[in-house]
Amino acid sequence: MPLLELQQSLISALFQRDQLAEAAKLVKAQGSLSSEQRVGIYRNSTHGILLDYLESLYPVCLDLVGTEFFGRTAHSFMDQAPPTSPFLADYGAGFVTYLAEHPALQDMLWIVEVAKLEWARHAAWHTVNQVASDFAQLEGLSAAQQAELRFQLPASAHLISSSTPIHSIWLAHQEEYPDKPRLEEIDLQEAQQVLIFREQRRLHQTTLSADDWAFLNTLQQQATMSELAEQFAEQLPWLFSVAMQEGWIYSFTTD
Amino acid sequence: MTPNPILGCGIGLRFQHIDQILAEKPPIPWLEILSDNYLIPGSVQQDYAIEIAQHYPVTMHGVGMSLGATDPFNSEYFLRLKKLADQLNPAWISDHLCWTSAHGWVSHDLLPLPYTEETIKHVVQRIREAQDRLERRLVIENVSSYLQYQLSTLTEWEFITAVAEEADCKILLDVNNIYVSAFNHDFDPCRYLDSISIEHVQQFHLAGYEDKGTHLLDTHGHPVSDPVWGLYKLALQRFGALPTLIEWDNNIPSLEELLAEAHKATEAHIHAFA
Ligand SMILES: [Fe+2]
Repeated sequence: MPLLELQQSLISALFQRDQLAEAAKLVKAQGSLSSEQRVGIYRNSTHGILLDYLESLYPVCLDLVGTEFFGRTAHSFMDQAPPTSPFLADYGAGFVTYLAEHPALQDMLWIVEVAKLEWARHAAWHTVNQVASDFAQLEGLSAAQQAELRFQLPASAHLISSSTPIHSIWLAHQEEYPDKPRLEEIDLQEAQQVLIFREQRRLHQTTLSADDWAFLNTLQQQATMSELAEQFAEQLPWLFSVAMQEGWIYSFTTD
Repeated sequence: MTPNPILGCGIGLRFQHIDQILAEKPPIPWLEILSDNYLIPGSVQQDYAIEIAQHYPVTMHGVGMSLGATDPFNSEYFLRLKKLADQLNPAWISDHLCWTSAHGWVSHDLLPLPYTEETIKHVVQRIREAQDRLERRLVIENVSSYLQYQLSTLTEWEFITAVAEEADCKILLDVNNIYVSAFNHDFDPCRYLDSISIEHVQQFHLAGYEDKGTHLLDTHGHPVSDPVWGLYKLALQRFGALPTLIEWDNNIPSLEELLAEAHKATEAHIHAFA
């Protein structure tokens, strides 16, 4: 049998339980374990590696739904969508959609919102470094150039608008956080806008006021300075200085 | 630039320990960097690896080349690996004599090969290509295994010896993996050691396994077991005091505990020849 067929058969068994018996035909029976059990060891270890990884991506969801449910859901997710890239960090974005479609979570979709937040944290952490603009250069621009200015958030920035207080729920699950809210005291109906971004080796996660949220959202849509001035009028200087101070604005372009 | 020499007993770099290592700079002979965790160019993860490599001699160890697979190499993977190597200047790059991909799927787990003449030819050609892509000689590691294929006509030690010889690569001998596979497949681990040619072996791995009753599982979650220390002593006597690395991936202990385990390997170096 060519190597190709052997490998296709074995890897199929890792992600499709009903292929175990077929793959087992390739394997010697030895000692107290059947060939099917031997292939099963590999199915378990592959799933185990991916489960550890998904648990590390979604620790708060894991807490919320419990180890048993999380494990069962993660295993069926892996079988439905096995990894296709050698870069493990690429894997697991689809888990959020998978949770969103899970029948058992239809009355608890706020948990899915937390999963979105956790994926955004992962993605923000792995975003490549970028060079910040030199904001001192703004001074030398003509009025016409200033009107055409556009500003960018850090490349790692994720703006999430949620119908549920994802930031508070997330905080409630942080062991080391001193003043964390208690989950049972959180009003799950409260909407929250959250910004996540990475600044060198620190990941920032913060809630935004409605004004800051609107401002950053408009920035992210590449509005020019004159459009910003029109939309935010006298609020603009204040919104701007907060955003600069907090590191929410990272660069600008003049064309 | 010639890489810093790898001497004595090092540890695998784990994320949990990076800040402490960078802050305290404890004396560690060398560190093995898990390449797969640092493959996003220009990421903060890479910054950490680069900083570590500025202070310690390093090697790069990976799981993603899929040297034994039949699907084409992932070019992007090799490009990123090469770029990382250009930045870290590791003494060498290692991966496993196994496969991890087929059918467009990736297992992220180390799957064993059937040990046949046909597989030798295939893997030799793949290792040569990998060596060309990375512009350096590779070091390949024996994996622990839980199954043997009907197809296999050779022993693992015959297989790995032939591959290393024909591909002109080096061997990273994982002593724990030999012990685990020997138990699982009922062969004599000493026979394995005695069959590997001395000039090919470049490095040892040590790790802890878990006894599952029916089989031993290579979990890297425990201290090195006594029988593996025993086998390691024999390995030192046969191959010399080669660089050795303690792997620990689950239930990761404190840095101090990990270094203490590496120190045990150093002591074994001393006593092996006493
Ligand atoms: Fe190893």
